[in-house]
Amino acid sequence: MSACITLEHVRFRWPGAQHHTLDIPQLSIQRGEQVLLRGPSGCGKSTLLSLIAGIHCPTEGQLQVLNQPLTALNQRQRDRLRANEIGYIFQQFNLLPYLSAVANVALACQFAPARRQRLQQQGLSVDQASAALLTRLGLSTAEQQLHAQQLSVGQQQRVAAARALLGAPALIIADEPTSALDQAHRDAFIEVLFEQCAAQQSTLLFVTHDATLAKHFARVIEFTAINAVQREAKHV
Amino acid sequence: MFKLACASLWNRRVSAWLTVLAIAVSSLLLLGVERLKTQTQNNFANTISATDLIVGGRTGSTQLLLSSVFHIGNLTSTISWDSYQHLKSLPGVAWSIPLAMGDSVRGFPVVATTGDYFEFFRYGQQQPLSFADGAMFANEQQLVVGAEVAVQLGLRVGDPVTVAHGSGGPSFSQHDDHPFVVSGILQRTGTPVDQALYIALEGLGLVHGEYIPASVESGDHGHNHHDHNHDDEHAEPPVYTLSAVLLGLQSKPLALRLQRDINTYRAEPMTAIIPGVALQEFWRTMQVFERALFSISVLVVITGLIGMLTTLLASLRERRREMAILRAIGAGPVQIFSLLVSEALVLTSAGLVLAVAGLFGVIGLGGELLQQWFGLSLSATGLTAAEWRLIAAILVAALFLSLVPAWRAYRLALADGLSVKL
Repeated sequence: MSACITLEHVRFRWPGAQHHTLDIPQLSIQRGEQVLLRGPSGCGKSTLLSLIAGIHCPTEGQLQVLNQPLTALNQRQRDRLRANEIGYIFQQFNLLPYLSAVANVALACQFAPARRQRLQQQGLSVDQASAALLTRLGLSTAEQQLHAQQLSVGQQQRVAAARALLGAPALIIADEPTSALDQAHRDAFIEVLFEQCAAQQSTLLFVTHDATLAKHFARVIEFTAINAVQREAKHV
Repeated sequence: MFKLACASLWNRRVSAWLTVLAIAVSSLLLLGVERLKTQTQNNFANTISATDLIVGGRTGSTQLLLSSVFHIGNLTSTISWDSYQHLKSLPGVAWSIPLAMGDSVRGFPVVATTGDYFEFFRYGQQQPLSFADGAMFANEQQLVVGAEVAVQLGLRVGDPVTVAHGSGGPSFSQHDDHPFVVSGILQRTGTPVDQALYIALEGLGLVHGEYIPASVESGDHGHNHHDHNHDDEHAEPPVYTLSAVLLGLQSKPLALRLQRDINTYRAEPMTAIIPGVALQEFWRTMQVFERALFSISVLVVITGLIGMLTTLLASLRERRREMAILRAIGAGPVQIFSLLVSEALVLTSAGLVLAVAGLFGVIGLGGELLQQWFGLSLSATGLTAAEWRLIAAILVAALFLSLVPAWRAYRLALADGLSVKL
């Protein structure tokens, strides 16, 4: 099994800040793994995700995503890598309100030629694949044509998941995707997400502050355990 | 990216429409002013053609031009009948049209002239005058009516008309109800010719008591031989003074020499002008107003574009979530930048399309009203090169202004990344 994400001695400090937000000596996630990253709010989880997604660059250290050293790539190459190989799900308000559900899903291919190509190899157009994926995630054909605001929060998150999954990117990052959902919807959502990730062999990095979700995952990483900054802060 | 920009704008359509409207109205103003400028200039240049010299008493060239061709203002100085005879006899003069003005019919100027007016006067591209109805005056009691006057006063051939002395007329203050009868109505020309009435010099002389018809005097001349009278050097002149004389020459290059000769004529001070030159001089004085109008409309367009800038900048705050989503699906800061630029271009283009449509709408629907109320005639011809240049300039200006919100969105996209605190 090859590595999906590898961090070595990664440190990150916001411009102008005095202290590091992140100091991660070592972290490795294998391809195909479904990992829960748990930590309290405001501890730097989102910052770590933005490093992995290639939005920001580590101040120090080595960060590899899918064998690509992000620190060696320029902004455009990192944006391209994210478009092609990373599906990202926010906590909520994942969708552009002025597009239909199916158009929101198809948006995933807007900047991602590799995703479009993979769909082509399966003989699917972007719109066909988007509709098929939404159907699998339980949205009716009529619901797929609705605008994002007209959908329930649970439906919106499934549309967001579909967008992240479309064209089988290697890595799905979900940043607290269930925090706006109730218990029943939450479990259903996680289940469907697992299913689809497994079906297309995408690695899943699921971030939450909610410890009760741990039971769904084979591997759970406590954020405070990998981030040295937290421990130092306690000593001071 | 373009489709996305359109969809995003559609989502904010109220403010987008208002922005488009602001740009449309301001661009319409600019294009309208430009069109008014060029077409008025053309109309001016089209008012007189073929005439090589205009001669009047000693006065300014603009004043002579305005009163003789446009019937605007009064000429205080006149030239004598003798000087007119002299002008006619100058070598190289092919034809001459004497003009005596000062009277009016319900506000429309009355021009006393001879039959030569209808034969030799040209406007536009050497177009002669022609009659829509009837014929030219055959005696001193008949009168020819310009097309616009006929419409405004509801005159038809055979109708009686009373001529009143205009204020500032040489020495006649009493009202005269010497009746005239309409003998003909001219075809519309789109020039000041439409705005006047025409009588024979003898008619004017009769009204003013200067002229006694030959038939009354000697009894052996018919009414219908005015030209005969004119050519007869010994006969009493129909009028003692003329306002202006239009001269046609056998060859154009003669005009300069003749102009000098007339201007230095010793027997009576006279001014001769070359119509084309005088029109240009006059237009140059008008340019001050034209430039002021143009500057104002440019400022209005800038205001419209700044309005767009404000709207786009204000929208960025509400759209940080939208930007974060676009970033998450792989849009780089450059794409976010181009999204904002496309939005500005879509807004401006829509505004410009609306402005051009509005321009043709105003000309098509309101052209007649403009003509009637302000005497401005605009035609709905295709966009001229100058108008295309203005449109391009507005687009380029919008492009440059859009760099401001685009740059701001670029910075925000880099700083916010995927984390947006709402």
